[in-house]
Amino acid sequence: MALATPSQSVPPRRNFSWLHSPSWDWLGLVPFLTFIAVFLLFPGLVIVQRSLFDSEGRLTWQYWQSLSQAAITLAYTNSLQVSVITAVSGGLIGSMLTWAITLGGLPAGIRSAVLSFAGVAANFSGIPLVFAFVALLGRIGLLNQWLRPLGVALDPQVFLYGFWGLCIVYTYFQIPLTVLVLVPAFQGLRREWREAAENLGATSTQFWLYVGLPVLMPSLLGAFALLFVNALSTYATAVALLGGVGQVFAVTVVVANQFRTDTFGDPGLGYALAASMILVIGATIAVYMVSRRWAEQWRR
Amino acid sequence: MSGIPMNRRRFLQLSALANAGLMVWGSHPLLAQGSSALPPPPPPGPIDLKAAGGMDSLIAAARKEGELSTTALPDDWANYKGIKRVFFKEKYPFLKHNDLTPDASSAEEIEQIKANAGNKGPQNPDVIDVGFVWGARAKAENLLQPYKVATWDTIPTAIKDPDGFWYGDYYGTMSFEVNADAVPFVPQDWQDLLDPRLKGMIAINDPTASSQSTHLVWASSLGNGGTLAQPEKGLAFFKELAKKGNLVATSYSPASLVSGELPISLRWDYNALANRDNNMGKAKIQVVYPKSGTLAGVYLQAISAYAPRPHAARLWMEFLYSDEGQLLWLEGYAKPVRFNDMLKRGVIPKALLDRLPAADVKVEFPTLEQVQTGLQYIRDNWVKEVGITYKS
Amino acid sequence: MGGESTGKVGKLGIPTRFWAWLWLGIAAVYLFLPLVAMVWASIRSPTGIRLDAYGEVLRAPRFLETFGFSTQAAIITILISAALVVPTAYWVDLKLPRLRPLVEFLTVVPLVIPPLLMTFGLIRLFNNTPLTNSNQGLYIMMLGAYVIISFPFMYRAVDAGMQAVNLRVLTEAAQSLGASWITVLTQVVVPNLLVAILNGSFVTFAMILGEFTISSLLNQPAFSPYMLDLSSRRGDQATALGVISIALTWGSISLLQLVGRKQTFKG
Repeated sequence: MALATPSQSVPPRRNFSWLHSPSWDWLGLVPFLTFIAVFLLFPGLVIVQRSLFDSEGRLTWQYWQSLSQAAITLAYTNSLQVSVITAVSGGLIGSMLTWAITLGGLPAGIRSAVLSFAGVAANFSGIPLVFAFVALLGRIGLLNQWLRPLGVALDPQVFLYGFWGLCIVYTYFQIPLTVLVLVPAFQGLRREWREAAENLGATSTQFWLYVGLPVLMPSLLGAFALLFVNALSTYATAVALLGGVGQVFAVTVVVANQFRTDTFGDPGLGYALAASMILVIGATIAVYMVSRRWAEQWRR
Repeated sequence: MSGIPMNRRRFLQLSALANAGLMVWGSHPLLAQGSSALPPPPPPGPIDLKAAGGMDSLIAAARKEGELSTTALPDDWANYKGIKRVFFKEKYPFLKHNDLTPDASSAEEIEQIKANAGNKGPQNPDVIDVGFVWGARAKAENLLQPYKVATWDTIPTAIKDPDGFWYGDYYGTMSFEVNADAVPFVPQDWQDLLDPRLKGMIAINDPTASSQSTHLVWASSLGNGGTLAQPEKGLAFFKELAKKGNLVATSYSPASLVSGELPISLRWDYNALANRDNNMGKAKIQVVYPKSGTLAGVYLQAISAYAPRPHAARLWMEFLYSDEGQLLWLEGYAKPVRFNDMLKRGVIPKALLDRLPAADVKVEFPTLEQVQTGLQYIRDNWVKEVGITYKS
Repeated sequence: MGGESTGKVGKLGIPTRFWAWLWLGIAAVYLFLPLVAMVWASIRSPTGIRLDAYGEVLRAPRFLETFGFSTQAAIITILISAALVVPTAYWVDLKLPRLRPLVEFLTVVPLVIPPLLMTFGLIRLFNNTPLTNSNQGLYIMMLGAYVIISFPFMYRAVDAGMQAVNLRVLTEAAQSLGASWITVLTQVVVPNLLVAILNGSFVTFAMILGEFTISSLLNQPAFSPYMLDLSSRRGDQATALGVISIALTWGSISLLQLVGRKQTFKG
């Protein structure tokens, strides 16, 4: 797999020809776009449409306006905070782990073992993950058993069944997700570049500052964006951990509650919330694109 | 960011275009269907056994349909495991069972009917088992078709629709479910739950999502110096419980109850008793009826207006309301609605009667209006009153 | 390949390898401790260590059936998803960089649309068509939904892989040697992206095994609905179930990885 490549990437050509003349290049995207159209666009359109039109088919802003109620803004604030915090915590630990297994000089088998475990752990969520953390941090959990002889007790209502508990649990799957997404990027940091830098007298810090991080930055930003959206859209874990209180900390729970409740939910609100989440990730992608553009300038 | 020259004029053009597109698209028939625009239902099946031509014709028609889709029937809820086994394996093995979404809530069942209206596939539920308040609501939305079982007259009037669209199937009594080994003492009444020794031990499911949980919050008004007409007392009680830290901000988990992590919860007695039996030998679960009083909750059976297999659905109802079916519910500790009638006729085996726990406390039987008001109040105010107290 | 640092010593005089082990250790503690706790919880009981729960779970009738069903669905999903994502990412990177934001947005939206709404939307869209009137149709719908929700992970992994390998130059080199598009795709693109594709597959595989809403609403005999049902009935088996499903998933992924490794060496 070792093909020689130059160390600089060629900047994408800017041209507007696609606006003015048909191009056969679009054909390459047809299967993908068809799939998206059939399986994703329609439910997406239904969501947006039902957030704007009431049951008689009239255009209305009431559902979007109901997003400003205190309970919703509280849920959104908490969700965004949890998402940012766990994107950082998971991203940080995950990046360092990725570095360790790709460039850290560890024995060869470790990387594949970590990778396969990462695939499992990244999707370890919902009820089983909560079981595991309850078994660890719960009232009669492992940590409390160990701490009992010391007379200290970890209160699960602080560390588990609340905001920080949510962050701790979310970080669990954010770490391996980061690894899976970043390993190819880290592996792309050629050894030759490192050696070239050394030959030029650069220290480790200088290498990372001027070569390593800039090359990695687009992938790091992309990973961060994915982690953020991943945390924002988590549902099963929030519900499994917090039950009904999940609606205070996760917007996804509020959405689901509008459609699942045994008493009476408000579907219009649910659709508006789901549509607003789509907007939030649109914004996240936009921010990511802008920062990528900025990061790419560093590569010059 | 984009290479297209973007100026104010172009932006306005684009947004005008987008608005026009939105209007056109919004009025498109396919997308414009609001949640009430369902296809017209097929003509309803026979109204009773006579109209169906007798049991043998019904069985023959069901045989032609070949399957039955039920939804939201967990195995351990009121002995549905036994009911499913007897109906599908013993009595009518020619009927394939599509056991849809056992964990669905009543609201989800209704949504399933709506989403699948017009489909003939196996994921379209034929029959539903929903909470008391859902019968009238589903009927109003034209989601049900009427059927009066052979034993119709022995079903109490207060819990059936006069036109036959929905009918009560069984009821349970709200109780405490306690892992006796994991608690310093077993609470016997509502106020016991507030004891500081029980800190961090109580967990319930979301009262705004699960009708079982809404009922239990409502029932606690009886233990807080109020009546069922004062649901605010129930909310105040749970607010206190949350503030004290006895109520934990997580959902009920059978695993946690058995392991002792969260050893106290509140559920319908048939659920708690079934759990006690299932875990005999692994955990000592006690089912306690609170001394100050508790309430009973009714569930309803109904046939979907869009049922692709209406005759199999009717066969199911005939079975459930026969003595045999009713006794199977009783085996699961759920009181079937024809209980008094069967007791009078002496068809209940003594062994089964003896197994039933004695609830020597006052049990309230709320009417439909009371249930609608009480549950609505709690659902509307739970997050405001108690939900925020949870935030640590 | 993969950049091994040559026993370098960092600014503080501490060898790089030390830091690598340290971070590995920190991550390992975070990721393993909850699992250890879960295994411990599954075997503890008032009477000492109890392994019965495991036996009961494994002997339960539909355990293997549902696991096999979900595994099969996962593999098919991965193949379809890779077949869609790889050419797309490649074309976007190479020929249509303008469209990158749109495609990225489209591949991330699935994360945010609740599976509940997506499934109801699909059922309504295909109302009264062969897709909703038969079990096979529902199975296809389930696969379609699975492919969609695998996009965020597959695309992100493949995209990161592309950044690393600089396919533009490789393509131009191959084309200047006279290769056709197909050849370029199969002989140049895919082999270089295999690691990235595999990484995306691992997450997809585990995700599908753990996926609950879609398969349960579409009445498919998948692993997760079965597990959930079992765990809510038998509280003591719940944690054992969790442990077993992790072990099984990890085992399957390791197998996938072995297969992948063989392929890599071929190319």
